[in-house]
Amino acid sequence: MTETALREGGEEPAVGARWQRAAARGKVRGTTKYVADLPVPPCAQVAVYRSTRPHARILAVDVTQAAALPGVQAVVTGQDLFALLGERLLTGPAFADQPALAYDRVRYVGEPVAAVLARDLATARAAVDLIAVEYEDLEPVYDVETALKGEFFVHDVLRPSSVFGDLSHLRGKRDTNVCYEYNLRTGDVDAVPTDGVTTVSGEFWSPPVAHVPIELPCTTAWVEDDRLEILTTTQTPSYVRQAVADLLDLPLNKVRVRTSVLGGSFGSKMYDRLEPLAAALAWSQQTAVRLVATREEAFLLTTRHGAGVTSSMSADADGNIVAATADVAYDTGAFADVGPRITAKSGMVAAGPYRVENAWIRSRCIYTNKPSAGPFRGFGVPQVTWSHESLVDELARELGEDPAEFRRRHLLREGDEAPMGTVMHSADFVGCLDAVTDEIGWTTPYEKGEGRWRRGRGVAVGMKAVLTPTIANAVIQLNQDGSATLMISTVDMGQGSDTIMPQIVAEVLHLDEGSVRVVAADTDTTPYDTITAGSRSTYHTGNAVRAAAEKMRDKLVDLAAQRLGVAASDCKVTSGGVMSTTAQETVSISDLMHGHFGARGTTLTAEANFTTSWQPYDHETGRSRQVTEHWFAGAVAVEILVDTMTGRVKVEQLAVAGDVGRAINPTLVEQQLTGAAIMGIGHALFDELVFDQGQIVNGTLLDYQLPSVRDVPAKLTAHVIESAHRTGPFGAKGVGETGILAIAPAIANAVRDAVGVRITRLPLSPERVLEAMTEAGVS
Amino acid sequence: MPVLHQPRDLDEACTLLAELDDPMVYGGGTAIQILLKQGLLFAENLVDLSFVPGLTAIEATATGIRVGAMTPLRRMETDAQVAGVVPLAAATYGHVANPRVRNTASVGGNIAHGDYRLDPPTALLALDAQVELRSAHGQRRVPVRDFFVDFQLTAVEHGELITAIEIPAQPAGSASSYVKLSSLGENDWPSASAAALLVTEAGRRTLRLGIGALAPIPQFVSVDVSGHDLETTVEAAKAAADPLIDPIPDVRGSVTYKRRLGLVAVEDAVRRAWKDQDDD
Repeated sequence: MTETALREGGEEPAVGARWQRAAARGKVRGTTKYVADLPVPPCAQVAVYRSTRPHARILAVDVTQAAALPGVQAVVTGQDLFALLGERLLTGPAFADQPALAYDRVRYVGEPVAAVLARDLATARAAVDLIAVEYEDLEPVYDVETALKGEFFVHDVLRPSSVFGDLSHLRGKRDTNVCYEYNLRTGDVDAVPTDGVTTVSGEFWSPPVAHVPIELPCTTAWVEDDRLEILTTTQTPSYVRQAVADLLDLPLNKVRVRTSVLGGSFGSKMYDRLEPLAAALAWSQQTAVRLVATREEAFLLTTRHGAGVTSSMSADADGNIVAATADVAYDTGAFADVGPRITAKSGMVAAGPYRVENAWIRSRCIYTNKPSAGPFRGFGVPQVTWSHESLVDELARELGEDPAEFRRRHLLREGDEAPMGTVMHSADFVGCLDAVTDEIGWTTPYEKGEGRWRRGRGVAVGMKAVLTPTIANAVIQLNQDGSATLMISTVDMGQGSDTIMPQIVAEVLHLDEGSVRVVAADTDTTPYDTITAGSRSTYHTGNAVRAAAEKMRDKLVDLAAQRLGVAASDCKVTSGGVMSTTAQETVSISDLMHGHFGARGTTLTAEANFTTSWQPYDHETGRSRQVTEHWFAGAVAVEILVDTMTGRVKVEQLAVAGDVGRAINPTLVEQQLTGAAIMGIGHALFDELVFDQGQIVNGTLLDYQLPSVRDVPAKLTAHVIESAHRTGPFGAKGVGETGILAIAPAIANAVRDAVGVRITRLPLSPERVLEAMTEAGVS
Repeated sequence: MPVLHQPRDLDEACTLLAELDDPMVYGGGTAIQILLKQGLLFAENLVDLSFVPGLTAIEATATGIRVGAMTPLRRMETDAQVAGVVPLAAATYGHVANPRVRNTASVGGNIAHGDYRLDPPTALLALDAQVELRSAHGQRRVPVRDFFVDFQLTAVEHGELITAIEIPAQPAGSASSYVKLSSLGENDWPSASAAALLVTEAGRRTLRLGIGALAPIPQFVSVDVSGHDLETTVEAAKAAADPLIDPIPDVRGSVTYKRRLGLVAVEDAVRRAWKDQDDD
């Protein structure tokens, strides 16, 4: 950890300070305006008819009765939109496979087929009940096993979108449910001598889960003159603008996408959610429309990928990890969404954050007739972490070694080459592991107990790459009174970007807390930013913000040098303004700007871009010298109790650590780690979307399980590790996902420790734990 | 959207219930709102009892207490009189959902919901409570042990509303406990629950058990445990509960698991009640 030194004159630095979260007061008091609260023109309310079949051809859609209902303004079917837009109706970040409304075929129970526009929602919903659809059932593909048999296909042909250029070789591929395959070949796992080698293997499963942010998705779209305005809950305003412009064949300046702070998202509000449908309806009907997902509909919009991993890990007689294999299958549901990216980026770390000489990984993205899976905090990595952290733990136990010490010995260090060929920097796995094991007193002996409750400890480490390559832009407008306005398209969904981006500006320009305001993302005013996701903003947008602030600083210095008649090199920005050593004078920003422009209220603007690049992995070996701009490293240690009568697991203590490079705001970093840990406890113990014949059976908050305050461990601590990144803004990296990666395996490893059973399927429900104990003869 | 009616007295409420199409009594609304929103419940007319006077009183009676139907669950948990006269009820009401729901949900609405997983019925069964019903035709009382008729079905007839629950005082020297076991989130519905009441009267020792979430309706059984020690009482309780357990399998667990959990709930409740008795 670094101590922040006071700056000259006793001024406290902004970077590293625990500034209060922006809008905290408004959120607590209920005065913050979310998307659904913002004023919009009078709108038609939209209700959606959703498919009742998992896989079927649409033979006919009868909307006569629905259209005749008083109060109904229009009923629009997929066929109507297809007639208007043709194949442009198909959108999606990786594959253009997702129709705003299904027009020829439905691919999951709940897929939108028709939309009713009415004067109020009750009327719209009543009209939906009057729509009759005639289907011809097709063979459904419910799971990846069936999908891989290749007898029936969710899509007839693969359609890579224009967004990701590296997928173009898949265009036109037929007769497959595998829409993407990533392979890693490092060394040769088959050539590893078997003499004295210990191998552990398993079949791991992580079920699909739902994001369940408190704020429901809401999109309003309307036509203003000859342009389309969209106000929507999205993490990806720049993407949505492009997607909608493509959909409607409009120039980018005729599509405006705005958002507000989001009431949580976790990956659920990005890419193509309600926006293509809202845009198509508003434009085709030349009217204003409003779509709000109900809580039940939100369960259908996107999920986390269910994933199976068949894997092994081997150590030689000296305890070196000599081989790791993983066959990963991501169930992406009816649409690829960003599944192909997840498949590659997460597949490549399936061997774990260890020095492994020989690795074989196959990671596949597989279509099924279920709701589409998309990005979810962790981007597919928790599913492979579940595998490698269970395996490495079991391997240590097989070898009679302490699981934490065994990991410590093999974890990647600075300068090590990871199995996919990239050299590690600013990824202090050992520091994270040390912090969490110290916190729970790993080396102090403890009683496992012999009665009803058994105690156990577990540890796990996680590794994730930041999304690369990506693009960020920032525009700073400095006002004559010394306050500043920051224009970025990063969306604050609770992660705290509206707090830390101003801290970066303030650090460079020596401004006070509260003096920099972030403008809500608006594609008419805020510049392009790839996405707010993948923990990328602190680093990418943070770097753009820092660079813009530095340009602003230079402008101020130039103005001061001019005014004072000194060299620019003689001037520097301080908390009081710009100071010249020679002139022994400090000019405040407000005087400087007033002097320059000759007016009050004037503005000075600076802008900057920050773009990262990568070396695409080799298609044969999956290797790359620079597969990512940087890494996230995290570790978790837990102490748990298992109730041997009920199988219930109670997490008593949890310590979570993340290497953030440098904490711009330590409080927000701790909160991110803590929040991720609590979400992870849900995934470990009970979160699960249960399907029956392609239909979600627990898609309501009466049945879907989320952690409540009563599931939070009595002791939960977050540990900030700072291994500065050489090109991070002030050394910083993101932290949104770090804390969630290793929670489930840490808990499962503790269950293994407590009652001696290794469970490979999530969640660790009491019934599953008890079954495993019964099978193993543990009582 | 259903129409909301807000009668000012009981007679008006009863008249509305008799005359309206498809009426439904609206208490705290915590269950109705969710069920309506999800399309699981249909009502054209809601008769809200908030403005009917006299439905929130907790009164001492000759034999125990009488609780008005609109009394919030939170009061059952925190009221000193309830805790003194029927500690098992106070403890059980304190386990319902969360404080926000308990502050809103009503005692009458709770049992009218009729869900097999409700917490309070287990205690009310053990305590032999009576449900007071009223309609345009008059008043009647139904023992809570006859109140739950079938899955989501209670003895409340068309045109009737619950006005109060009468709970006999827990006998002197009795001991009790309520155990709620969830299988997923801690704050979820129970997958098994049990209220145990140990009573010694006229030289006989009786264990009264109310069990919830383990069959389509809450179940009750009484066991003579005179002369039993703790271990034989536990065995007798499990033996008596076992035939009543008929779990509904769902995402929370299979029949086998819930049965097993049910017997754990019974055992835990008996052991805690026994300990409660030793502590006194």
